[in-house]
Amino acid sequence: MAEGIIKRLGKMLDEKEISCTELTEKYLSAIESSNGDLNAYVKVTSDEALTAAKAVDEKIASGESRGALAGIPMTLKDNISTKGIETTCCSKILEGYKPIYNATVWNKLSGEGAVLLGKTNMDEFAMGSSCETSYFGGAANPHDITCVAGGSSGGVASAVGGNIAPYGLGSDTGGSIRQPASFCGIVGLKPTYGAVSRYGLIAYASSFDQIGPLTTTVEDAAIVYDAISDYDPMDSTSRGNCGKNVLSSLKNDIKGMKIGVADEYFDGVPDDICQSVENAVKVYESLGAEIVRFKLPALKSALPVYYILACAEASSNLGRYDGIRYGYRTANYNDINEMVCKTRSEGFGAEVKRRILLGTYVLSAGYYDAYYKKAQNLRGSIVNAFADAFKDCDVILAPTVPNTAFKKGSAISDPIQTYLTDICTVPVNIAGLPGISIPCGFDGSGMPIGMQLIGDKFCEDKILNAAWVYENTMCGEVFKPSSYGVSL
Amino acid sequence: MVTREDIINIARLSKLYIAEEELDDMTKAMDDIVKFADTINSAAEKGVEEFDNINNLRNAFREDTVVPSYDRDEILKNANDTGEGHFLVRKRV
Repeated sequence: MAEGIIKRLGKMLDEKEISCTELTEKYLSAIESSNGDLNAYVKVTSDEALTAAKAVDEKIASGESRGALAGIPMTLKDNISTKGIETTCCSKILEGYKPIYNATVWNKLSGEGAVLLGKTNMDEFAMGSSCETSYFGGAANPHDITCVAGGSSGGVASAVGGNIAPYGLGSDTGGSIRQPASFCGIVGLKPTYGAVSRYGLIAYASSFDQIGPLTTTVEDAAIVYDAISDYDPMDSTSRGNCGKNVLSSLKNDIKGMKIGVADEYFDGVPDDICQSVENAVKVYESLGAEIVRFKLPALKSALPVYYILACAEASSNLGRYDGIRYGYRTANYNDINEMVCKTRSEGFGAEVKRRILLGTYVLSAGYYDAYYKKAQNLRGSIVNAFADAFKDCDVILAPTVPNTAFKKGSAISDPIQTYLTDICTVPVNIAGLPGISIPCGFDGSGMPIGMQLIGDKFCEDKILNAAWVYENTMCGEVFKPSSYGVSL
Repeated sequence: MVTREDIINIARLSKLYIAEEELDDMTKAMDDIVKFADTINSAAEKGVEEFDNINNLRNAFREDTVVPSYDRDEILKNANDTGEGHFLVRKRV
């Protein structure tokens, strides 16, 4: 059985094998020696981490019982607001910005005694699939540092895959948790839209964004999901987790579970990745699951629908960066319009500008009906197609990405080619569904391959259980620790 | 077909300056992206006219209760230029 790192570290703390301060120092020292190669962290919060660790040590010493996440070090993607700690979305335009409040997820975790090691690297404003649009340069893949970690939550994936954080929180708008998890050989859970509060998550595309955990095991993902999913009155689209505790739903039995496999997810996907996912299909069959093969033709329009709607929302959300209230402001200007335009032109990177321009284009007079409205209507078709699919199956199994981690610098110059690699991940965000990526094999170069389990809304329990059963059966063969970081 | 004039116009609406030397590359990139976006108009699916949002959320009204807000001085700490409790943009000539 794949033993989760959160329980393992918790046991060490409870049995006083190590103090929380010592554990935190161990991770901080591993960050110091490995971050030069990985570039996973853009800010290390040593002082805050040691203060939080000391507080947990004092509670343990006073005999107080320790919650599952108390004293366990972790990291947050740099678009999750942390009060008084610089939060930049890895953009020049938010240089020096220190939020005056915490994101709800960080309030919840810090309230449970989580120890923040630092903020991790990401594509600028979460716009990218390789982490290379980051103002701070991209994060490296711990399995081969000449390759990208993926994106946009590349820093979290690199840190967790490189064992310089036991777990972390990322955000997923079109695959930004699942894709880097797949590239770095770890687990990434994108929850149902509304299950986790977005309050304090700096917005990219508000109707797609969700915060979720990146971990080394499925059990860890369940523990973190239980801690962060809840109704939050501060997020007007919050729904909570329907009162489910997903950790208790991990049972070593999937007999009779109906696993759907849709042809469209395999179109154009290389043989080695298709083969790894088909091998997983056989594993599930051997464990007593029923395989349901079907078609999802509505997926054909998923990519353009996603890019039209996400960029439209981004062009509106990013209108707030004007150099007046926070972040970067240009040095020389004659009037307020010039100040705003120069601030934005100097503060945003090329990919962010492209997406703002596309979003403005599809929302502008004359184009709104042909692009935005049409894409919104097609979003409805995709939502309905998934709803119909879940009448016949419990979960859908698919590749996470149609490729494995590629060499740094090889994709960034061609935006369309980069967008096409999001084909397997964006449908989940369009329909607001939960999806989890878990390792399922390696390509010819030894780089990890991920597979994705997709569930109906608020059915995180089903996808986590299916993922957990697979992991327990296959963990020795599909999981390979990297040579970096803390070894336990 | 996206033209240089389209890009200049959209950039103006987006409050972005595109440098003259970047204009051709940006026009080409945007033309490729818009052609890619255009594929939705050849989709067989008509779509769902009344589609609104994925969780069928409706406005939920509540009492307008005053709750504590954030401290003005704390908020102003993130600004480049402030004075007398305001954000400032100074006139430059």
